[in-house]
Amino acid sequence: MANNMGGNDTLLDVQDLKMHFPMGRKGLIGGKHQYVYAVDGVSFTIKKGETLGLVGESGCGKSTTARAIAQLYKPTSGVVNLNGRDLTKLKAKELHAARKGMQMVFQDPYASLNPRMTSGDIIAEPMKIYSRKGLLAISKKEMDERVEQLMERVGLSRFFRNRYPHEFSGGQRQRIGIARALALRPELMLCDEAVSALDVSIQAQILNLFKDLQDEFGLTYLFIAHDLAVIQYISTRVAVMYLGIIAEISGSADLYKKPLHPYTQALLSAAPIPDPGIEKDRKRIILTGDVPSPDKERVGCYFYDRCWKRMDKCKESRPQLKEAEPGHEVACFLYHD
Amino acid sequence: MANENNRAVNEFNQQVKPVSLWADAWKRLQKNRMALAGLWITVLFAIVGIAAPVLPIADYQKVETDFINLPPSLKPAGEVALSEASLNIDRIQSRIVEGRNDLLPALEQAKASYDKLKSDLSVKSTANNVYIFGTDYLGRDMLSRTIYGGRISMLIGLIGTITAVLIGVIYGAVSGYLGGRIDNLMMRIVDIMYGLPYMLIVIILMAMFMKEGSSSIFILFIAIALVSWLTQARVVRGQIMSLKNSEFVEAARSMGASTARIIFRHLLPNTLGVIIIFATLSIPSFIMNESFLSFLGLGVSAPLASWGSLVKEGADRMESFPWQLLVPATAMTVFLFAMNFLGDGLRDALDPQSKNRA
Amino acid sequence: MTEEVILQVKDLKTYFHTDEGIVKAVDGVSFDLHKGETLGIVGESGSGKSVTNLSIINMIPNPPGRIAGGEVLFGGQDLVKLPIGELRKIRGNKISMIFQDPMTSLNPFLRISTQMIETIVLHQGLDKKAAKAKAIEMLKLAGIPAPEKRIDQYPHQFSGGMRQRVMIAMSLSCNPEILIADEPTSALDVTIQAQILDIIRDLTARLGTAVILITHSLGVVAGMCDTLCVMYAGRIVERGETAEVFGEPKHPYTQGLIKSVPRLDKASGDRLFSIRGQPPNVIDLPDCCPFYPRCDKAMDVCKRKYPATKDTGNRHAVACWLYTEAK
Repeated sequence: MANNMGGNDTLLDVQDLKMHFPMGRKGLIGGKHQYVYAVDGVSFTIKKGETLGLVGESGCGKSTTARAIAQLYKPTSGVVNLNGRDLTKLKAKELHAARKGMQMVFQDPYASLNPRMTSGDIIAEPMKIYSRKGLLAISKKEMDERVEQLMERVGLSRFFRNRYPHEFSGGQRQRIGIARALALRPELMLCDEAVSALDVSIQAQILNLFKDLQDEFGLTYLFIAHDLAVIQYISTRVAVMYLGIIAEISGSADLYKKPLHPYTQALLSAAPIPDPGIEKDRKRIILTGDVPSPDKERVGCYFYDRCWKRMDKCKESRPQLKEAEPGHEVACFLYHD
Repeated sequence: MANENNRAVNEFNQQVKPVSLWADAWKRLQKNRMALAGLWITVLFAIVGIAAPVLPIADYQKVETDFINLPPSLKPAGEVALSEASLNIDRIQSRIVEGRNDLLPALEQAKASYDKLKSDLSVKSTANNVYIFGTDYLGRDMLSRTIYGGRISMLIGLIGTITAVLIGVIYGAVSGYLGGRIDNLMMRIVDIMYGLPYMLIVIILMAMFMKEGSSSIFILFIAIALVSWLTQARVVRGQIMSLKNSEFVEAARSMGASTARIIFRHLLPNTLGVIIIFATLSIPSFIMNESFLSFLGLGVSAPLASWGSLVKEGADRMESFPWQLLVPATAMTVFLFAMNFLGDGLRDALDPQSKNRA
Repeated sequence: MTEEVILQVKDLKTYFHTDEGIVKAVDGVSFDLHKGETLGIVGESGSGKSVTNLSIINMIPNPPGRIAGGEVLFGGQDLVKLPIGELRKIRGNKISMIFQDPMTSLNPFLRISTQMIETIVLHQGLDKKAAKAKAIEMLKLAGIPAPEKRIDQYPHQFSGGMRQRVMIAMSLSCNPEILIADEPTSALDVTIQAQILDIIRDLTARLGTAVILITHSLGVVAGMCDTLCVMYAGRIVERGETAEVFGEPKHPYTQGLIKSVPRLDKASGDRLFSIRGQPPNVIDLPDCCPFYPRCDKAMDVCKRKYPATKDTGNRHAVACWLYTEAK
């Protein structure tokens, strides 16, 4: 993959990101504040041209992380450095200008497009907003041209620009969403489960599209999904999240060949492989219990309850993300000396 | 690759023409016969109401003492008046025959009226008027009174609805979008206002500001509009709150759309369906409210008429002159039915959960 | 899996009459189900897999849908023609169904005990006490901890995975011959999915229940099913034993599908294989092979007529002109 052309520039640097949602109090008056600890101290960096895959099950906080990075939620604490500027500290106007380089693609192709706008308007909207704020110099003619270029580039005929979302299929709608995200020529794309709602045959098309666009425009991706095979295919590096923290982060090939964290191992063993020969003989690690919800304050390792390799010290304190092998970090006492 | 995709798309996936959501809804509305009938009737009433001053009907305010309480008829008024008068004479005569001699002076009077009427009519030009729906107790044409009454009633319905929509939509949109404590406060105000005895307040207001002619309508509008926006506000707020969290709103926010843009470009257009449905169904509600007030004697005052006031006048005399009640009542009922069917039909046609949506 | 055939679906057709035209959701589907067999039905959205299942127990909303033809032979009867009274004796009793979203299949106002006991009493004629004991036993087999206590709880007190276990327990409580599972794990996390599929596999093996498993995931089919049917646009385009179909897929759609799924154990290279084009719009589909616009091997005859199903031996059948003589 011809990705790392730009050298070692870090595009996105996230440090100790936390997102705690207040849930009201216990009891009518006084009483302790309840929080949902959706994201509880997440740190990672993404270099230009890379794709970082963020994978985990429901409630792990991956979508919230993306939204906190995009400043759709105001992070409770932590630093989000895009091209060296901390987005959390910027005021509204500066934030708008900085955000131009970062766009999001959403999961639901049916809900992420305004049903009362034509596809052309949807794709043009980011340009309109930024041009009105004076942050983008573009004429109407140029805008129209760019809309048509983008549509062709993502595989939609430009003659469909006056059609409404409900006239398109799911895969086509997702392409509209991608075209919209590309309108401002961003550097970083946050793809939140962008292929999870698509049929298998369409998913393959869209994944290929993502890769092609990355090669052509030099894009950097934060790609979120719950399907491990999809993440492996699209990512250069992968971070596994559990209950608001990163359990393990490493290069894509490494993670799949040699998963270190018990949770990652369980996850990989549970993921089905479309090969009856392999499936019949597979030894699965079956985790006990359910995926817990992130609304309790925890002491100790978050995975303690379900971990079959747990030790006493795992109950007492929370393991930090540390490098166990070059380029391979894991948050587990099994690997801390 | 783009070309391959386009080729494949055109097989089996042909969309005929771009169909906006409104056109789609219109198509569906057309399939609903009752709703369509409702639509045409409403349109008919509206046209007649607007065109009333140029229609070839009698002046609705003109009092004709010679033509009071004429029944509906296609014959010229003069004939009808005369036949009524002679019927009267016959009635008195038959009672005298039964033994009521005290009525003899009445008979004389009746005969005298008859003769006077006959001579008056021979020189009157209006003797040839035709009162299709008869006349009221002051000789005014029921047809034109019903039409002009309709004008007022429909106007009340329309203005009341527009006021309710304007206030309600803005209030509800702001409350729903801002959420949190402000929303709480605004909705509590709505709750309190809901609890107020609406009719009582309107009656008090009307009684306080009761004056002649046009000012009574003005007060009427204000009184009704005061409480009418509440449901609209709630409905819009609910819709905005549920839309607020949709992904396309998130997408708009992620590209830095301002609050105003989100509300006017994203949220409200998707709320229009709900607003239209509610508006269509609230017009009949206003007309009914006004009728109720008129029934209490607090509606529009003479010589202006509304369906409500006409019904009241007719109800007072319905035993002797039933058409004075039936004509305005029927007109009002037909219109209300039509609007209700139309509203129901619109709700089905604009329903975002319909199976016909992709 | 034995040789005894307990369900025979023959040329089943289910059509929906909509404003836009006739949707032939299921257009001539035939397959056999053997005692104890786990049959997978794989397809993407619009393929008709869910409608097929609903048609078997005749749960199609009518209007706008109706079963327009074919037979479903079970226990010596044709389920398509059975009156509703007789059908109710079979549903929940001899043929059970579990759905994708357990929250909507369970009545949120009733306790689990009420819902389970109702089914058992109705079909097995036990009294309430015996029925409750049986229900608790089923819950235990389904892996619910402390079933005696939890049976008196309400659905919302269970998590998604637990609810699905309750559904499994409920549907197997009358020891049905066939369990129809419609995307039972699609809404669940991967680790929970593994647990649930395990339970389904164990329990049905223990009770000898045949399973029809509908899913869009090839991985799930590979792990669970003895045989599988691949559906496209309302028809079965290929069927056979799982190992055989995966090892030697014959229909271009099956081949494409298998190649386009990213795999955990193999590197997919720089580009994923993808079938070009979109799934077809099934309204008023003409009589041709519905896959031809997307098929790399399409021939002239594919445009004109729907291919007949050819048995290529070893219980492997495919509907494609590449394998049948065009007449």
